[in-house]
Amino acid sequence: MGIAGLLRGSSRFAVVLALCVSTTGCLTMKSYVDPTLPVMSSTDLPKVRQPQPTTVLFEFKTKGNSNSRATSEMSGRVVAAVAQSGMFGQVSTAVTDPNGALLKITIDNVADSGGAVAKGVGTGLTLGLAGSLVTDNYICTATYIVQGKSYETTVHHALLSTIGNHSAPQGLTPMAPQEAMNQIVDQVVWHALAQLDKEYAFSVGSR
Amino acid sequence: MRAVRYLPLALVACVSPPAPKYQPAIGNTELLLKQSTKLGVGKFSAAPGVSNHSLSVRGSALTGGSDGTFSTYLQDAMISELQTSARYDASSQLQISGVLTRNELSSGVSTGTAAMGAEFALTRNDQVCFKKTLVADHNWESSFIGAVAIPAAFTNYPTTVQKLLGELFADPDFIAAVRTGSGSPGN
Repeated sequence: MGIAGLLRGSSRFAVVLALCVSTTGCLTMKSYVDPTLPVMSSTDLPKVRQPQPTTVLFEFKTKGNSNSRATSEMSGRVVAAVAQSGMFGQVSTAVTDPNGALLKITIDNVADSGGAVAKGVGTGLTLGLAGSLVTDNYICTATYIVQGKSYETTVHHALLSTIGNHSAPQGLTPMAPQEAMNQIVDQVVWHALAQLDKEYAFSVGSR
Repeated sequence: MRAVRYLPLALVACVSPPAPKYQPAIGNTELLLKQSTKLGVGKFSAAPGVSNHSLSVRGSALTGGSDGTFSTYLQDAMISELQTSARYDASSQLQISGVLTRNELSSGVSTGTAAMGAEFALTRNDQVCFKKTLVADHNWESSFIGAVAIPAAFTNYPTTVQKLLGELFADPDFIAAVRTGSGSPGN
C-alpha cells in the first residue's frame, strides 16, 4: 500500500495534513504505533492441528461506512497476515465452497475527523509551528463462520501521527506511515485470530 | 502567503478521477450465499437524463467505470459481487440486467449525500421473471473544506452502489424469482 493509499485509508485529518505538507515542505509527518496492544509475531500464534481452508472477506470502513478504496489497498496485507498465521489451509478471497469456512474481517477507522481537521488546518496555516498530534483509532472485528457456528472477536489499535512542531509521544519510535499501518494491520489480524482460537473456533471441523 | 495557505484547497479543486474500484460488501456476499443459483449478467444502460459519465462535486468530477459510464460501473459491480460469492455464471439461463434511473452525488457543508436507482430485470431464457426499480440513499459526514469533502464524496460513491445491490439481493421478489428460476445450480 502506498502512502497515498494509506492517507486515503486513514482519517480525513491525514488528507488535509498531507496536502499542507506538500505545499509547505517544512512540515514533517511522523507516525507511531500505539503501544497499548502487545506486539505479536506470527510465530506466537497458536498451532491449529488441522488447518482448514477458508475464504477471507475483508472490508475497511471509515466511521462505519464502507471504504472501497481503502479496502482495495489494504486487502492484500490482510489476506497475507491471515495466510502467514499458518492457522488455515488454502486462503482465498472469493468463495470456492459455499459450505466452507468464512473469515470476515472489518477494520473501522473511527477517528474524530471533525477535531482532527481543525488541528490539521491550524498546523498547515502556521506552517507547522502549531504542531498537531492526532490519534486514528481502529476497531478490527473478526468473525469466523464454520459449520453453522459463528465466533466473533474485536481488537482495538491506534495510529498516532505528529505533524510539524510537536514532540513525539513518550517512548515511541517514529515510523514511516506505510510501515506503521502495515504493523497495525498485522497486529489486529493476528490478535483477532489468537482470540478466536481461545474460543476454540478453529477446533470445529478439524477433529 | 495567502496563495500558499489556500493551495491545499486548490489542489483538489479540479480533479476528475474515475470512481474507486468496486469492492464487494461482506453483507452482500452473505446474502448471495443464501441463494443456490448462479446468475449471468446482461446489459446495463442508463435512462435518458441520468448522469452516466460524470458527477460533479464542488467543481471536481467523478467519472464512470471501465468504459467511462456509471451503468458499466454498476454492471461490473454486479459481476464482482456474484464472483466473490461463487454465484456467477456468464452462460446461466438466468440473466440480470439493469437500467440506471438515478445517479446523484453531492457534498454539503456538514453532510454528503448520494442516491442511486436502477430498474433491474431478471430473465429466464429471455423471458422476464422479475422487474423492479430499487433506490439506495447514502449519506456521510462532510466538511466545509473541499480537500476533505471531495475525496469523501468520491470514496462514498461505491458504498452507494453496494447499498443498491444489497437492496436487490435482499428483495423477497428477487430471491423468489431466482429460487424458482432454472439457471445453472450453485454448488
